[in-house]
Amino acid sequence: MTSMMTIEQPSRKGELPLIERYINILGPLVMILLVCLVMVVVEPRFFGVTNVMIILQDAAIYMVLGMAMTIVISGRGIDLSIGAVAALAGVVMAMLIKDYGWGAYMAMLAAITIGILCGLANGLVITKLNVPDLIATLAMDQVYRGIALVLAAGAVLARFPEPIPLLGRGRLFDVVPTAAIIGVITLAIGYVIYHYTHLGRYAVAIGGNREAAILTGININRHKIYHYMLMGGAAAFAGILLTGRLNAIQATAGHGFALHTIAAVVVGGTVLFGGRGTMVGTLVGVLLLSMVTNALVLLRFQFFWQLVASGLIIIVSIGFYSYLQRRRTDRAEE
Amino acid sequence: MESGRRAVLTLRGVSKSFGGLRAVIDVDLDLYEGEVLAIVGDNGAGKSTLIKILTGVHRADSGEIRIDGEKAEITSRRDSIDAGIEAVYQNLGLVNSLPAPANVFLGQEPVWRVMGVPFIDNRTMRRETERILRERVGIVLENLDDPVHNYSGGQRQAVAIARAIFNTELRVLVLDEPTAALGPQETRKTLELIRGIKERGISVILISHNLENVFSVADRVQVMRGGRSAGVVEVAKSTRKEVLGLIVGSEDVAADAYA
Repeated sequence: MTSMMTIEQPSRKGELPLIERYINILGPLVMILLVCLVMVVVEPRFFGVTNVMIILQDAAIYMVLGMAMTIVISGRGIDLSIGAVAALAGVVMAMLIKDYGWGAYMAMLAAITIGILCGLANGLVITKLNVPDLIATLAMDQVYRGIALVLAAGAVLARFPEPIPLLGRGRLFDVVPTAAIIGVITLAIGYVIYHYTHLGRYAVAIGGNREAAILTGININRHKIYHYMLMGGAAAFAGILLTGRLNAIQATAGHGFALHTIAAVVVGGTVLFGGRGTMVGTLVGVLLLSMVTNALVLLRFQFFWQLVASGLIIIVSIGFYSYLQRRRTDRAEE
Repeated sequence: MESGRRAVLTLRGVSKSFGGLRAVIDVDLDLYEGEVLAIVGDNGAGKSTLIKILTGVHRADSGEIRIDGEKAEITSRRDSIDAGIEAVYQNLGLVNSLPAPANVFLGQEPVWRVMGVPFIDNRTMRRETERILRERVGIVLENLDDPVHNYSGGQRQAVAIARAIFNTELRVLVLDEPTAALGPQETRKTLELIRGIKERGISVILISHNLENVFSVADRVQVMRGGRSAGVVEVAKSTRKEVLGLIVGSEDVAADAYA
């Protein structure tokens, strides 16, 4: 064959208008702007240094969780056990320091190891016992929560050596909030994992076209297990951050981590049913949700209303993206 | 058969059942070097199962597979790829949200290592994809960085074929209904692609319902009926009517149907 063929581009009408291509990022950015506008009018304290620190510290925890959750969801998984994993890791770390005299770094390492092992257990239950991701992690959530409750025996463990408080609520060199640094580093790590490693690439492949992934010889089960191990490790690190932030930990901590994180990831534009995700979007989603919950606190809404708000945000965003997706397929079939 | 030609792939007495359903029964198949062998047959004739046995998706219950005369154990996709057999499935098996290079190299990404940790080399993948498409498939794609769900049917076909043939050890390319979802112009281009692949010394097994396409591109046609091989004919010495007769199982019925 000597001649070169060119196959024409699909017609323009099938293509999305520019705005719809970037709506994943634009949507939450506009909502962030709206929150800021409202808060400027009703509660300027929102922009005070102390409050911004609080928002950043909250966002750092959810960014760590959201980074891993973006991978898990891209691979058509979901992890509902992350709150309990965070609590268990935090409690174990606290007990190792308080009751067994371990150094902070060794105890943190132990906590993260436990998180990774929890993730491994989740992954094995899902892939080897063929329990659906949702049910498996929901049940394992109870298991981990139960273990944490037994270990802590109702105690609240408090006051930890550096660098634990520094990680949770400190400022590096008394200037830069550690939370901001953690957020940026997590974004960078997440971006690299997503675009430059097999872990991220195969998550997209498994979530996007499971059959194709199997046919190319990718070991799907092994990669799903890796995703959950990453998630477990991230949840444990979030548990450390939470411990440092309050300088205290109890076995009931981290309640609602899972839904809040999933909401942030989906608001950011990662498709809940796998195959497409964005780390930058996750950061934007995390910031939006942390700002909204903080605003609700500042405006003296009851905690329970915050639950209502984050629940509604999930429903609205997923509904919105399903709508977009439907329009997309309709156009493709035109 | 001419004795001078070398068989790349030989199947002898291959059978496969799913529970009580005998999908493939005692099938022989010969694929010679640099030829296009079409496999035709009704729905449920056993074409897909036969292909899945070749590509390691299913394992044959009995019979043997030889590649270059050597007995081959194909028990997984990996085995079949290692043996030099690749397939492009009807649904193309592309991940829609990934761009062409990620799809072409999926499962076999080139990496660079930083302290032993492998990172996917996206730049090499992009360059190689461009080259493979240009030199081995004969196509230039302008939108190489777009996710493939923005591609046309023909472009997606080209990406799927590029993925199958970028493996330089490739001996056998299996195409499952490559033109089923394409318009006339894109069908013509796909047939050109198949001729091009053949010219480059790769043997092609073409599964198709479309006898027009089969007769324009294949060297031989193997007809499947009810899980068995109903016969093999050479395109140059045969007619559509004869093949149609083999498909439905009777010359007379075929004549009626064709009239």
